[in-house]
Amino acid sequence: MFKSRLARKSARFIPVFVFLFYASLLAQKGPKEEFQFPPLNPIQMPKIEQITLKNGLRLFLVEDHNYPTINIRARVYTGSIYEPAGKIGLASITGSVLRTGGTKNITGDQLDKELETMAASIETYIGTNSGGISVSLLKDNLDRCLSLAADILMNPVFSEDKIELAKVEMRSSISRRNDEVGGIADREFTKVIYGAAHPYARQQEYADVEAITRADIIDFYDRYFHPNNMMLAVWGDFKTKEMADKIKKVFKDWQSRPVELPPKPEVRYENRYSVYYIDKPDVNQSNILLGHLGGLMNNPDYPALTVMNFILSWDRMFKKIRTDEGLAYSVWGYYGSNYDYPGVFSVGAQTKSQSTVYAIELMVKEMKRITGEEVTDEELKKAKDQYLNSFVFKFDSQAKIINEMMTYTFFGYPVDFADRLKEKIEQVSKTDILQAAKKYLHPDQVRILVVGNQKEFDKPLSSLGEAEVIDITIPPPPGK
Amino acid sequence: MRLKANLFFLLFLLPALGLFDTVYSQSLEAIKAAVQEFTLDNGMKFIVLERHEAPVASFHVYANVGSVNETYGITGISHLLEHMAFKGSKVVGTSNYGAEKELFPKIDDLYDKLNKEKEKVRPDTALIARYTKELEDLFAQAKKYVVNNEYIDMMMREGDTGINAYTSWDATQYINSLPSNRLEFWMSMTSDRFLNPVFREFYKEKDVVMEERRLGLETQPIGKLIEDFLAVTFKAHPYHHHVIGHMSDLEKITHQDVIEYFSRYYSPSNLTAAIVGDVKIDELRDLARLYFGRIPSNPRPEQVRTVEPEQWGERQVKVKAKSQPILVVGYHRPAAGHEDNSALEALANIIGQGRSSRLYEKLVKEKRIAIQVGTFNGFPGNKFPNLIAFLAVSSMGHTSAECLAAIDEEIAKIKEESVSAEDLQKYKRSTMKGLLDSMKANDNMAAQLTFNDVVLGDWRLLFDDIKKVEAITAEDVKRVAGKYLVADYRTIGEVVPEESTN
Repeated sequence: MFKSRLARKSARFIPVFVFLFYASLLAQKGPKEEFQFPPLNPIQMPKIEQITLKNGLRLFLVEDHNYPTINIRARVYTGSIYEPAGKIGLASITGSVLRTGGTKNITGDQLDKELETMAASIETYIGTNSGGISVSLLKDNLDRCLSLAADILMNPVFSEDKIELAKVEMRSSISRRNDEVGGIADREFTKVIYGAAHPYARQQEYADVEAITRADIIDFYDRYFHPNNMMLAVWGDFKTKEMADKIKKVFKDWQSRPVELPPKPEVRYENRYSVYYIDKPDVNQSNILLGHLGGLMNNPDYPALTVMNFILSWDRMFKKIRTDEGLAYSVWGYYGSNYDYPGVFSVGAQTKSQSTVYAIELMVKEMKRITGEEVTDEELKKAKDQYLNSFVFKFDSQAKIINEMMTYTFFGYPVDFADRLKEKIEQVSKTDILQAAKKYLHPDQVRILVVGNQKEFDKPLSSLGEAEVIDITIPPPPGK
Repeated sequence: MRLKANLFFLLFLLPALGLFDTVYSQSLEAIKAAVQEFTLDNGMKFIVLERHEAPVASFHVYANVGSVNETYGITGISHLLEHMAFKGSKVVGTSNYGAEKELFPKIDDLYDKLNKEKEKVRPDTALIARYTKELEDLFAQAKKYVVNNEYIDMMMREGDTGINAYTSWDATQYINSLPSNRLEFWMSMTSDRFLNPVFREFYKEKDVVMEERRLGLETQPIGKLIEDFLAVTFKAHPYHHHVIGHMSDLEKITHQDVIEYFSRYYSPSNLTAAIVGDVKIDELRDLARLYFGRIPSNPRPEQVRTVEPEQWGERQVKVKAKSQPILVVGYHRPAAGHEDNSALEALANIIGQGRSSRLYEKLVKEKRIAIQVGTFNGFPGNKFPNLIAFLAVSSMGHTSAECLAAIDEEIAKIKEESVSAEDLQKYKRSTMKGLLDSMKANDNMAAQLTFNDVVLGDWRLLFDDIKKVEAITAEDVKRVAGKYLVADYRTIGEVVPEESTN
């Protein structure tokens, strides 16, 4: 239609070759037509300065002059895995009161006020396998914030008052831990996999809260918070040399100390089929988690597992159980790998009570399918394409680049881990995926957890096997 | 952005602001200067910010329709339509549109017949069984032509691993992030999506949305509270129902309903796109005209008529659940574009945001009756008069009533004594910091540009509103506290523990 009108005009006014050129510029491409993508503009990798101070503190610095802000992030070798049984939560409370408790030079409340007045923040935490501090500020507060951050790290007082405040929060959290079905499922499944008393799964009880003392907290802090036991990344609007000098100055009195890191807890796991049930009669939808132990990121099969994960989660679980069957909003299948301890392989979904057992059967069926036959060429190509084409997003900000570098270094991975992984992913074949699936996925030996209202299930849970009922009643506080 | 190139901003602003603010305002001005816009003949507006730090771009399409546009019988349709927008078009998501096209009216008619039969006072069960079986057969036939999630597959293949969308009370928003050399591909896919959508697998997707309602609302004490709270505090205005919609409406919404709703609300004049990243405005404008220009324009749909009247007294709502207590208190306030907005934001921040806020200091640190307490504006939306709300999570052994009493005390203090100069300085500075931080990520920046343009009327307000913030006085905060935080016109919502085991 467009062509014939112009063709008439062109016969009179416009030479044919101009018409053809003009027409080709003006033709929209349909979504499935060939697109000639121009070459991607190069990724500008920033210069990251790495310095180790005399006291052992490792620094990573990168300038970013796009915004007049500065951020700092530190990682400390510590974790809740190092807390003794009987004092679960010691690491967490140490991590929070490190900040809230104030220092020799400033109280916690004064700190709160001053930081918020500057519109700056300093936060500390200790998690499962690391601890850290995060600082965010407008650049003209640099000197004061550096000074405060150093003060917090070097001179915390862990005031009794703020310890008690943290304990109020801990007790309240315990009392609320059965209020949300998702929270119940996640933590109980973690316990099913690692073991209820295992450092990677154990949960805090009221008795633990009572047992933790200020002396315990100071002791825990003393073991791990030393310059030679942590690393710091800084990014933002500064000059590298100037920043390095400021950091050296502010930590000059911080001495290196011998640090003894206990061995990481061993994970002993036995592949065996089992079914667990938690009764929650007030919900009309079951929360289902099934799976077994996962692995580590430095596993040579990690590239194949990465590609497998995409296909399993998206092409199999999501497309089948959500889109085809309409059984769930959120559904996945994912072999979890961590840096320094085995992750969890989980298949999860939340479906109305009346489709609970049916959904579980489909989830296991999809596991069997990916371990039984090769993925398709199309699935493989698409998984690789999305990984390779989105790779550029890993480097779209200084913050991402420097934090990834620090994380790899922290866990003893090569700094070019992402690039090496990318190369390996490009090589992954259908056979590799099938071999990895067969080796690492065990559909006949999954542990299944269902949190829901069995009175309304489509089939009795016993049709899947004898179900062990988990009692999640919260043990009362000591003396009650 | 280099300091040198923007010295003239520095000189201009120096006399007007405190010195410490200059480099920050300057930063904002430099970003603002780089934003451009254009509007196509069919009314679709594009806002573009070129940023070449990394070869990526984020795309944000804001459809000016949300659950606030819904009425009885079709609650949840905006969100359902958002799901449908991923089902493809005449080209994407199908192996044979011609064959599908034949089946859709048959399916719709049969579905209609089935529902009419079910609704009869004495339904014919044999007929219902027959219709159901026939419908299953038709679904199976139609399914043969579906290419499962092809739209998402095609986007992810090109690197869009953050692909998403969300529906709120005010709007439906679609997000993509791609390597920047995929610009034309985004243009093609997105214009096709809104030009030739096909809402295939409609009935199955309703099941997914129903599971979503169970997941986020029916199985969550706080979810239930929000639904009931809104119903009580908004008796007239369509902020009164949840975005997810009522279950019975979800069950009954038809394919035709969605087609009609789409044609009413997805006119190009009702769409605004923001693109932030490694793009070139001239090329982008040409492509936008080429791809989006072909979408025919429809008149702008009528906006919501109903205005929520003033409450005649305090209202209360309780949700009994197997849960520890939760408290929500809401006071009516005007839409985000109102001149009192800045003072209300300051009030919320000073009274209830951060560790040195009034409520945190009193309820969490001093009295220890709450483990969490906060104040926020824009509940549930911003486009229309909404609520300034308080949330309190009581600590073990304490009650929502205690929390409410303490909140009321702090509100009374502000009405009486106002706020201090330090409070205000703190708020103003944190606003600047927050604003700068929010501009860093392309996708977030794109979202903010569309929000400011559609809800507040001009994307420039993203940068200019900070001047209003800087002008706030203690008197302003006191005035809005007195005007809006009136106990007689508030709604109190609570999750009340059921008598049972923990």
